[in-house]
Amino acid sequence: MVKEKTHVLSDDGYETSGHFGPYGGAYVPETLVPALRELEAAYMESCQDESFQQEFKELLQRYVGRPSLFYEAKRLAEQLGGARIYLKREDLNHTGAHKINNTLGQVLLAKRMGKKRVIAETGAGQHGVATATACALFALPCVVYMGEEDVRRQNLNVLRMRLLGAEVRTVTHGSCTLKDAINEALRDWVTNVEETFYCFGTAAGPHPYPTIVRDFQTVIGRETREQALNELGKLPDAIIACIGGGSNAIGIFHPFIDDKEVRLIGVEAGGTGNKTGENAATLCLGEPGVLHGAYSYLLQDDDGQIVVTTSVSAGLDYPGVGPEHSNLKETGRADYVSISDQEALDACTLLCQTEGILPALESAHAVAYAAKLAPGLSKEQVIVVNLSGRGDKDVETLAQYLEGGANHE
Amino acid sequence: MSERLKAVFKSEPTGVTRLVSYIMAGDPSVEASLRRLKGLADHGVDVLELGVPFSDPMADGVVIQAAAERALNAQMTVKKTLELVREFRRTHDTPLLLMSYLNPLLRYGWDQLAEDAADAGVDGFILPDLPWREGQGLRMRTKKRVGNKLDFIPMIAQTSREQDIQAVSQVTEGFAYVISRNGITGGEVELPASVNKFIESLGNSLQIPRCVGFGIQKPEQVRALAKVCDGVVVGSALVKAFAKLDQKGLEGQDLIEQEKEVFSWLASLKN
Repeated sequence: MVKEKTHVLSDDGYETSGHFGPYGGAYVPETLVPALRELEAAYMESCQDESFQQEFKELLQRYVGRPSLFYEAKRLAEQLGGARIYLKREDLNHTGAHKINNTLGQVLLAKRMGKKRVIAETGAGQHGVATATACALFALPCVVYMGEEDVRRQNLNVLRMRLLGAEVRTVTHGSCTLKDAINEALRDWVTNVEETFYCFGTAAGPHPYPTIVRDFQTVIGRETREQALNELGKLPDAIIACIGGGSNAIGIFHPFIDDKEVRLIGVEAGGTGNKTGENAATLCLGEPGVLHGAYSYLLQDDDGQIVVTTSVSAGLDYPGVGPEHSNLKETGRADYVSISDQEALDACTLLCQTEGILPALESAHAVAYAAKLAPGLSKEQVIVVNLSGRGDKDVETLAQYLEGGANHE
Repeated sequence: MSERLKAVFKSEPTGVTRLVSYIMAGDPSVEASLRRLKGLADHGVDVLELGVPFSDPMADGVVIQAAAERALNAQMTVKKTLELVREFRRTHDTPLLLMSYLNPLLRYGWDQLAEDAADAGVDGFILPDLPWREGQGLRMRTKKRVGNKLDFIPMIAQTSREQDIQAVSQVTEGFAYVISRNGITGGEVELPASVNKFIESLGNSLQIPRCVGFGIQKPEQVRALAKVCDGVVVGSALVKAFAKLDQKGLEGQDLIEQEKEVFSWLASLKN
């Protein structure tokens, strides 16, 4: 019922921008419309431009350290029983997460478009650090918007951004997390649109961002496909990735979409419970609507107000999700599940202690779901977990959790 | 086309130009909003914009963001906003437009909204996150539902390109909302010198009147703009003036007296 009445934006066949099924579009203030079209045109040109593609590819190899490893987590699998588990090691990228793939691509675009200034939003700080890094490399001034709550819990990344020469602006209204940082970055963009490039961090937002960010992140899935075929002689049975806005997930899913035998599983933040406000499980618990320029699933109340979200991981603490994921849910091609804070924290220590790898709390959600799925599968089956980032930034949160755990005992 | 809106632009303005005002529904209460809508209408405002609060108003500056927060804290909803309009219509004929982000309206259910809004006496919509060319489907759907009762007000930005302005040039209802400068609502920023020239340049392409908004708060701005447009929109400055009264904790007759001063200040802008 809700879906029927809200698909009204795209159901009449009139000209609209960038849809994935009924989802997507570019619902932004009129002032930004030309900027989005300019970005779309520049992006399409860059796709045809071999020198641009070559420069991007070389950066990924020589600066980011790609291809990232495709690592079999044998002790983890042994402990869990069941399927074999491989980790796609995006945590080993320069700056410690998949975010750098996208920011290098976008900052190259900014250069190409002759923009004088780059802005970005950040939740966990990984996209902010990756943007600040790319801007340092290309000598562009960089302003990063970050919610006050995230500044507090991801302080290490704030310091890193400052070291890299970026200006971090703390956002103090709304829920003081990622969604408010996006609002503020959009306000900056609409004010300084002519000289500013908005380096958007996830495969959400108005068209053409969901497409651009996906395309820059599909390197993860293309490598995974090749590595799996080389190493296993077959495609994996399941691919698991965490989802906030959904960029690491769409990056690894996309090259497998036509391989129907590969299960694609997106893992959302289940937070502390299923009630409104207790989680950030947008696809599992939300309804379609418009936020930050796109029509997609949203966590909202009965009056269409966006609700406050909860997650132990700042990077997943977002009430929206990329429109392509909404469509993958609608078509049934991907499954979306949620993992609680506690399960993610447990998975974090599990991976540390079985493999000596400290995952980001975001990525730990994907590990946690793999731990649920693996025991029910056979030894011949293979699960790939996109280990989207490393957990150094989360040690304070983890320390509190471990101390809390010790107190209980 | 809304007859009420048409009448406003057909007749001569009562000052240097026509005045369009904006307040947020439910800020700080339904009663205050109703009283202020009536007061504004009684003090020479030609067109009323009534904001529907949204949790994430990305086109708005701090003043209107704060107003939305106050309204949401007072449990304001689309439904109550429509009741407020219905109540206002019992006594007043001033055209009234709902200004809202898409999501609360979509959540209400668009077809139902179109019917209920037309029935309550709303004259149209200003939708800051629906670019004109993306809204064709929604406009046709509305027309099918309620005929020509509700106007959609196109917004034109200084960044708008030929093809965007071309799309608006077909429009024959309501007025064009010309955004004075790149940016969000409110603020102390001076209007760019280019604004008059820009508005003038639109004259050849548009069939509908032009009203200018964003950052308008001084009589000299209004006088300068009046030469090239058909009306000015005052939003943040007005919301701020009322918020100041509310912060003082005034009540009863004291509040009403001070509100009158705000109405007079606003009316004086078009002298």
